Amino acid sequence: MKPAQTTVPHQTLRGNGWLRKQAGHYQLWLMVLPAVIYIAIFCYGPMYGIQLAFREFDFSKGLTGGEWAGFKYFEQYFNSPMFWPTLRNTFIIAFFSILLGFPMPILLALVVNSIRSNRRKRILQTTVYMPYFISTVVLVALLQIMLSPTTGLIDGFLKALHLIPADTNLIGDPGAFVPVYVISAIWQACGWNSIIFIAALSSVDAQQYDAARIDGANRWQIVWHVELPAILPTIIILLIMNMGSILSVGFEKTFLMQNSLNKPVSEVISTYVFNVGVKSNQFSFGSAVGLFNTLINFTFLMLANALAKKTSKISLM
Amino acid sequence: MRKKSILALVLAGALAGLSLTGCSSKGNSPDAGNDSSNTPEGKTKLKAIIVKHSLTKDVTQMKWLAEIEEKANVEIEWQQISADWDQKKSALFASGEIPDLLFNATSNSDFVQFNGLFEDLGPLIEKDAPNIQKMFSEHPELKTLATQIDGKLYGTPRYKGIWPGSTASMFINKTWLDNLGLQVPATWDELETVLLAFRDGDPNQNGDKTDEIPMDFNPIGWDFTPKLLLGSLGLPLSNGASDGYFTEGAQVKNFYVDERFKTLMQFLQKLYSQNLISKEVVTQDYSKYQSVARGNGTTAKVGFTWGWETGDRFGNELKDQYVTLPQLKQHADSTNELYWSNDYYYQNYGSNAVSVSARSKNKEAAMRFIDGFYEPVVSLQVLFGGMNDTDKGIKDNGDGTYAILPPADASLDPGSWKWTNSFADNGPMYIADALKDKVTLGSDMQNVLKEKAVYDELLNKADEKSNVYPQNFMKYSTEDTNTLAMNQANVNNITDQKWANWLTTKVDIEKEWAAYVASVNSSGLEQNLQIRQKAYDEYLSTLK
Repeated sequence: MKPAQTTVPHQTLRGNGWLRKQAGHYQLWLMVLPAVIYIAIFCYGPMYGIQLAFREFDFSKGLTGGEWAGFKYFEQYFNSPMFWPTLRNTFIIAFFSILLGFPMPILLALVVNSIRSNRRKRILQTTVYMPYFISTVVLVALLQIMLSPTTGLIDGFLKALHLIPADTNLIGDPGAFVPVYVISAIWQACGWNSIIFIAALSSVDAQQYDAARIDGANRWQIVWHVELPAILPTIIILLIMNMGSILSVGFEKTFLMQNSLNKPVSEVISTYVFNVGVKSNQFSFGSAVGLFNTLINFTFLMLANALAKKTSKISLM
Repeated sequence: MRKKSILALVLAGALAGLSLTGCSSKGNSPDAGNDSSNTPEGKTKLKAIIVKHSLTKDVTQMKWLAEIEEKANVEIEWQQISADWDQKKSALFASGEIPDLLFNATSNSDFVQFNGLFEDLGPLIEKDAPNIQKMFSEHPELKTLATQIDGKLYGTPRYKGIWPGSTASMFINKTWLDNLGLQVPATWDELETVLLAFRDGDPNQNGDKTDEIPMDFNPIGWDFTPKLLLGSLGLPLSNGASDGYFTEGAQVKNFYVDERFKTLMQFLQKLYSQNLISKEVVTQDYSKYQSVARGNGTTAKVGFTWGWETGDRFGNELKDQYVTLPQLKQHADSTNELYWSNDYYYQNYGSNAVSVSARSKNKEAAMRFIDGFYEPVVSLQVLFGGMNDTDKGIKDNGDGTYAILPPADASLDPGSWKWTNSFADNGPMYIADALKDKVTLGSDMQNVLKEKAVYDELLNKADEKSNVYPQNFMKYSTEDTNTLAMNQANVNNITDQKWANWLTTKVDIEKEWAAYVASVNSSGLEQNLQIRQKAYDEYLSTLK
């Protein structure tokens, strides 16, 4: 080893040095290996299928065998009368889902964390995260029954209290679609999503609470000056990750809740891809629209990440 | 040393994992679905998929089916699907791994899109299928129906010939009319008066004036809907008018952009605004639509609606309260020619009952099995249930005549029994015309034919060559199929939401009409009409 060190030029020595350094942590690399293999096979492997968006799909020649079509299918989508409506609807649903849906789990976590009795804490936590396990199909069926304008329980309740006009049809009215979608989503996922914040809160050093109390902080000041700063990194990372899926509005729920009356606001990119791409066998077109959707998600992810990095020095990469 | 062995172990594991995934994606292909092995008794094993009605019981429990298998000397491994096939099939077909036989699972556009996946049955029929040959010689139009644009035949057709020429009937509650001392309406204006009386008069006499729904229907694009009132305005619908297409004077048109549709929507909007139409008409699903009309026990809830047959629509308790209403005139002095949707082809002719995988290794056996279904008396069992003590579907009178038995399960109506007990309308079948007069139909079908007799005159009037549009018979090239599908998705997006919006709000339809028509046309309807016209002209040229 020794003579080699003296003869090899400086540059390569540094390269070797990096490799050698990594070799020192080979246990870490080994631990991550299964994940790398998994991602390579199941996430990167199938990506060759992206070609389909640029090809004429020909069944007999397989995914990669059709003639090149260039950006034909993208142009077809951009020029289609459904381009703006689907994009707009997707944005609106995603925007309100994040705006209203993101802070709720944080609030819930702060509430749960402030409960002293362990038993009550557990009961509350279990109650709020149970709805997460209801399947979308059942959830939408529940909505249909509860919100039916003639026999719906919730519908009748809201009307009795004059919270909504008597002739409202909550499952049909285009104006009601987004609120119903977002509120039911919060009801369903809020408890589950709060778990990660509760976990983050539990790691706050008890000394910080004591110090704050000695300094005379009340409950609100503790939340503001101790608890929120403690979970801020978690909040930002999760927000960035949510931004990455801003346009991936849940297909199942939107599709199941869709009807002729609310279609002007409920036709989103994913349901459109399904209606045209899968149901009408237009695979290339569907892939192109799907790819476009992914590109937008990616852009948002990068933007949010850059913004967070700049303002708070917390980021994914 | 120890570290090294762990590393080796992990690597070996990873490699094994890799090779396994490699296997599962490729290894299947040579034999899946094309198993050529025979059973110990020398029968040919075949795999089949069947898309059946949700009521239909496990097909392996049907004795008549076992008899066909026995006769064809095959053993079938069934895969049974009763929901969401439209969504599953793209994935299955795209994988290329399909079973030998596909029952009720394919459509013309699949043959275009998945070129090479399905076997051309033409030569096989000539060789091995005497029953199908007989069907083709007696009804050559069935061969036309089944033959694709490339001259090949990828799916066998079905024919029953005993079904009525109209899918939907219009029903009104006669008991309610009598209770209120009203006449059966004959025009739209009279209908409105009747509906107003239904709303205000407590016609079901239970003391509650608010539980009556004067009028109820399905979303416009479906079967049981007020689109049938377009016939009052001289617009000839036919064969379900799916996506709004119909022909008039040999021209393919679409009612969604027809002035007469505007008139209809204005009328419906007026009714809706007076609270005469169910509030859930757009949002309810079919099961809710059905259950509402069946009322509470003996108290009817719906006054005026559309459906297949009174027993099916209102249940045994209430069916006698309702009568079939003939087509209405718009006004007493209207001079429009009246029509009722002529659905004879839609009801009696079906395409693509069975397809065969091009990669099946036992096509002769598969064809032998398929042909078994098309023997007329067997076809009768496919439709109504087996002629034996296990299936209890049909009685053989011994003198060449047959009687459809009432349901062995007394809790079911005859229609539900048929769908439970057999492939019913989804099966491959050929009910020969010669057999038709020798079959005594079940009470439901007798009732259907009796009820629908009021439309016979109007149906017979529809000109086969210019006012009837059997969409099933049209054939399109790959390119046209794709264009039609893409345009239709865009068109439906506008039409679907517009009629619902017009119905439930008070917007001025007159004002929005021109812009709406322009947007539908530019979304691809114009192009679709041209493509369809070309195919329709082609079809007319084959009619004699």
